[in-house]
Amino acid sequence: MSALCPPPSPAVAKTEIALNGESPLLAATFAYWDNILGPRVRHIWAPKTEQQLLSDGEITFLANHTLNGEILRNAESGAIDVKFFVLAEKGVIIVSLIFDGNWNGDRSTYGLSIILPQSELSFYLPLHRVCVDRLTHIIRKGRIWMHKERQEHIQRAVVEGTERMEDQGQSIIPMLTGEVIPVMELLSSMKSHSVPEEIDISDTVLSDDDIGDSCHEGFLLKAISSHLQTCGCSVVVGSSAEKVNKIVRTLCLFLTSAERKCSRLCRNETSFKYESGLFVQGLLKDVTGSFVLPFRQVMYAPYPTTHIDVDVNTVKQMPPCHEHIYNQRRYMRSELTAFWRATSDEEMAQDTIIHTDESFTPDLNVFQDVLHQDTLVKAFLDQVFHLKPGLSLRSVFLAQFLLILHRKALTLIKYIEDDTQKGKKPFKSLRSLKIDLDLTAEGDLNIVMALAEKIKPGLHSFLFGRPFYTSVQERDVLMAF
Amino acid sequence: MISAPDVVAFTKEDEDEEEAYNDPPLPEEYSVPLFPFPSHGANPWSKLSGAKFSRDFILISEFSEQVGPQPLLTIPDDAKVSGTFDLNYFSLRIMSVDYQASFVGHPPGCPYPKLNFVEDSKVVLGDSKEGAFAYVHHLTLYDLEARGFVRPFCMAYISADEHKIMLMFQELSVEFSKASECLKTGNRKAFANELEKKLKDLDYTRTVLHNETEIQKKNNEKGYYTTQAIEKANELASVEKSIIEHQDLLKQIRSYPYSKLKDSDFHPYKPECSLEQEDNLEHGFTTSKPDEPGEMNLHPRRASYTPKLIKAKSTKCFDKKLKTLQELCDLYFFTQTLDQLHQIEKMFRGDICYLLTNQISRALLKQQTITNFLFEDIFLVDERPPEKQSNAFQGSPLDSSDAKYLEVCPAPKTLTSSIAYKSSVESVPIKMDQEIEDTRCTEGSEPIPYDHQDNLGYLDADLKGSVSSGESIEVLGTEKSVAALIQSSGQDGQAILPQPLPSPQVVRSKAVSKRTISEDSIEVLSTCPSEALIPDDFKASYPSAINEEPYADEEDESLRFSPGLNLDHAGEVEGNAEPENLLPADSACCIGKESPSFSHPLPNLTPKLCDDDGVVSIPPRPYRQADQEFRVNFTDYSSHDGVLGGLLTYELDPHYLTSSPETSKMSLDKCSDSTTSYMSSAASTSSDRTPSPAPLVGQPGERHKKKAGQNALRFIRQYPFAHPAIYSLLSGRTLIVLAEDKGAVEKLVTALSIFVPSCGAYSKPVKHWTTTPLHIADFQKWKLIGLQRASSPAGLNMLHSLSRYNRYVSILDADSKTLRCPPYRGTLVPRLADHRTQIKRGSTYFMHVQTVLTQLCSKAFLYAFCHHLHLPIKEGETEESVVSRRLNFLKTHLGLASEDGKVVQYLAELLKLQYIQDPIWGVSPVLRFDYVPSALYKI
Repeated sequence: MSALCPPPSPAVAKTEIALNGESPLLAATFAYWDNILGPRVRHIWAPKTEQQLLSDGEITFLANHTLNGEILRNAESGAIDVKFFVLAEKGVIIVSLIFDGNWNGDRSTYGLSIILPQSELSFYLPLHRVCVDRLTHIIRKGRIWMHKERQEHIQRAVVEGTERMEDQGQSIIPMLTGEVIPVMELLSSMKSHSVPEEIDISDTVLSDDDIGDSCHEGFLLKAISSHLQTCGCSVVVGSSAEKVNKIVRTLCLFLTSAERKCSRLCRNETSFKYESGLFVQGLLKDVTGSFVLPFRQVMYAPYPTTHIDVDVNTVKQMPPCHEHIYNQRRYMRSELTAFWRATSDEEMAQDTIIHTDESFTPDLNVFQDVLHQDTLVKAFLDQVFHLKPGLSLRSVFLAQFLLILHRKALTLIKYIEDDTQKGKKPFKSLRSLKIDLDLTAEGDLNIVMALAEKIKPGLHSFLFGRPFYTSVQERDVLMAF
Repeated sequence: MISAPDVVAFTKEDEDEEEAYNDPPLPEEYSVPLFPFPSHGANPWSKLSGAKFSRDFILISEFSEQVGPQPLLTIPDDAKVSGTFDLNYFSLRIMSVDYQASFVGHPPGCPYPKLNFVEDSKVVLGDSKEGAFAYVHHLTLYDLEARGFVRPFCMAYISADEHKIMLMFQELSVEFSKASECLKTGNRKAFANELEKKLKDLDYTRTVLHNETEIQKKNNEKGYYTTQAIEKANELASVEKSIIEHQDLLKQIRSYPYSKLKDSDFHPYKPECSLEQEDNLEHGFTTSKPDEPGEMNLHPRRASYTPKLIKAKSTKCFDKKLKTLQELCDLYFFTQTLDQLHQIEKMFRGDICYLLTNQISRALLKQQTITNFLFEDIFLVDERPPEKQSNAFQGSPLDSSDAKYLEVCPAPKTLTSSIAYKSSVESVPIKMDQEIEDTRCTEGSEPIPYDHQDNLGYLDADLKGSVSSGESIEVLGTEKSVAALIQSSGQDGQAILPQPLPSPQVVRSKAVSKRTISEDSIEVLSTCPSEALIPDDFKASYPSAINEEPYADEEDESLRFSPGLNLDHAGEVEGNAEPENLLPADSACCIGKESPSFSHPLPNLTPKLCDDDGVVSIPPRPYRQADQEFRVNFTDYSSHDGVLGGLLTYELDPHYLTSSPETSKMSLDKCSDSTTSYMSSAASTSSDRTPSPAPLVGQPGERHKKKAGQNALRFIRQYPFAHPAIYSLLSGRTLIVLAEDKGAVEKLVTALSIFVPSCGAYSKPVKHWTTTPLHIADFQKWKLIGLQRASSPAGLNMLHSLSRYNRYVSILDADSKTLRCPPYRGTLVPRLADHRTQIKRGSTYFMHVQTVLTQLCSKAFLYAFCHHLHLPIKEGETEESVVSRRLNFLKTHLGLASEDGKVVQYLAELLKLQYIQDPIWGVSPVLRFDYVPSALYKI
């Protein structure tokens, strides 16, 4: 990495974070565009390591770079833009979230960035969306905080007749710290426990001599079916890490290699925290035999989740994509509104609160039984165990099964695209679609729709959203009486 | 679970609602939209339409030292693509920051300017207001006249879909790095040339100045230097310094560190001479190397350069004209770069969902190489190095089909070359890319169908010498005689062609129901529903057994044979060398029996595939990689091992075959359904005498897929008997499409070709159009044939031959709109071809068909490799019970009854043959005789 960096001036505040494992993250920075001095770095977060790979000066140089050119920023109101740099000369990759906000009495441009070594590019890319989604949301909150601080500051300045610029905006740093540290921990945990890109089928339930050898047939069917119905997003909990990991690997067989890299195995000793946005994650129950999922984070996952308990062989799933997205957005809005209305720092700092407002009370019981049976997974499980284990026969058969699913998903997208003339007309022929594409079983349709949603985001909302929103609105109106 | 009480306890209701209502609402800019598509009419497709450009494009921009960031060119170079999008503004945005900030110029402590070989930077950024997102690849080119000798450029892939850019980041990065490396290589070459010229100029200037100084010295009688002389001396010193500086620059540009390219898999040329170059550089430096043999031989010398006198005053000022991008780069490399960028634009064009699915499908298809040959576009899957392919088929001449194939052959992603080119910069061989594109297309792909055709043609030629009787029962040979044949050919070494790889023999169970075996005489096959002769049977015994009446125009089917023959067929060639001597013909018999080679496996040649218990004990893998102890014990020939017999009692209606085209009023186009508006008219691409097994079908491009899908969709909607026709194809029974009009036939053949399983990796057994009478061997080669109905004597001959074989083939008469084939009562084909389908487009229907065929392949794979299915489970279990178990399996586990089961059995058989035979050439097509009564369908 280049040493040709100007020294930072003045000294930038820095928070060193002690992590348990190896940290692929070199640093995180918060920078802003000063109308006189140009890009300035406000805060640096760096993992506490013996060997410092980047000096503060280099970090500052890089962080400044992320805001360079943003004087030309031309963004939609409220937009949080993502910039991604691979600077081979510096040997780093930088992910920057650029946004406008009100701070120091002026509207300015800010950048929250994370810096990784270039060697971690292939490690990072599958996790890009997870990191960006999480940082985006904390920025949404931070922006409100900055705005409110400004108002409070003006009020205080009027009362006290003083101007203390240096105090402004300092409290946003702890808020950002509250999300930057988990992101660092997430990347660290992924470094040590991510699911490998290639999974040996012999480490999975599919290597059993016969179905039901290591887990109950019905449970396996339900788990895989629901896993596919929830876009390959599942949480596997249990008391035995080995058992949990076997199911995690089995479910990961049904994911793409990039999605596997965004999945995490269970740790033996103590459980990891639940991380929003991972595809499959194994979590260990505590001594009391329970694992409490954080509601907010489960809601913020990009896809609905399947909850699989390997101790009691239960499978529960969240509502389908369009409903999940709707609930998620309502909850986000409710949380941001609560932030907006908060009158004290204590209220704003409460991250564990489940936010409600006058129009929306979230349903805490988000996990429900798997209602829709499918024929695709059932037939697959019925058939795959007829092939002799220990060879690659089952892998080939699995690959064929996945190819069928992906082709069905693409055909479904194309079918809808043709029928609606690329969304210009509403889709009214779901019945025909089911018959034509042999998706008459509701579970089959859910599986293929879930796959289609991943490659064509918004498909669920387009197809099922309108009637769903209408029914929700009607319900809300009725509830108001 | 979430309902844990400790979490619920935090649930917070608004305590003071009134207060809440008094607060200003959350500004929308701080909130998130409630719906994914907040604006009216927004949808998953239209969310990207906010951009002012119509589709993705590539923009090359420069940070000009004179005018700042400016766009240079776009790819495609069409103003319609970029539309009203402000390229100037966007160039400003992407080029406003120097992401390659590295020192160039005079570093402290260094006497000469230092070139820094800066690595490219990659940035993804966007302009959310404009709805434009870009992958930007920053690079630096050298220019002797530029400030610090560098000119910053960038190549940006601009798309309205941010998601697409990030998902394709690595692929974009790889492809743009290749283009950048090509451009930079050309630039280094041009820069070095420029330096060489400059050095010559300086050298010349020095000489001139030196001469002038000497003259002045001689004229200096006063004993002191005049101001003019001092100026000259200073000028001379300055020129000499400049020479040293430029020599140093030349040395630097020539010592470009190739280690930087190590990570990349793309090398515009191989730096084989780089070490040598470095040695040369260490030993001194010359501005040109006329004695360099490589350069002399391979690179035409540039026109001699006349040096110019350089004025003392620097020309570096803002009124000078900067070099264009083309001038900065060697023309060849510049053209190559543009070609690559065009290729990139094509590669990433379109909706991300198709690109992603394509990626996923490729990865999955790679894992199922054993089944891919049946219905997959094998060229998408095949990732063998092109060298291997070209080596294997070197010297294969091109025929007319090649030209056609070239049209659909996709341009290569990676450019390689066999032609060396010598760079004057680094003096290393450089790959000529343009040549390669053609070379790869032809050498890498086309020769395969070509050679396959040759093989078939060769086989065909052998077979045509024989005579057959359509009405009689034939026997293919005796076990003894064929065994003798094999033995003799092996012992006597009569092989005409080298046979480096032994062709494994299929070991088949002798326990065949209802078959009488006479060891030294003709084997007569008794009645069974159908009989399939696997190629080895056929190769060994067929030619002498089938007595075919010769036709006058037999020579039309010209023999095209190249020495690069299918290895699998080598044995066949041997076996066919003297067929009359080897196998006795008996006019009383018509269809042959199994070759005894199946009963007497050759242990040395047959690799072991199964355990002793007959269970498949090794995973599926190509034959070439198979273990030496590979042994096969497939016994799944139940449906075909039965004895032949049961000749059909009906005769074809002669009128049926000679029916006038007038009876047909409807053409495919004329009776297009409501979906016509979506469909373009399908023009046939097939030639009259397609010499190879339809390479176009073998590698369907997107256009071909669309056309085939459209035609198929029309076919299933217009022909109520589409199901039995498709069933014929799926079950391996040859279908002949007969009509007077070539266009109508070809449309139908194109439509039906998507249902035809391939027998080898590079061919589909489809003959789009033929006008010559058919022979029984054609039914082995082709599973779908387009045949001309003509009123000429030759045409009558042809119809006569057709009527002779009508019991073995299905015949679709496009003129009279009739079909004669065995009936179909299954449920599989209706799913594949439902005439009530609401699918509107041909491409969508093609995708649907592809999906269903993948399902079929999966079933066939399971059936073929299910370990307990094909062998007796317990001692004393009869063959009947095994057969019954198989049928039960098909019915219970795969949900397939009667005809559907036969389809899966046929595909499974092809899989097995492919598995045990050469995976590249695939299996020899199966000649299948169905003695199931046919029915005549009419519209």
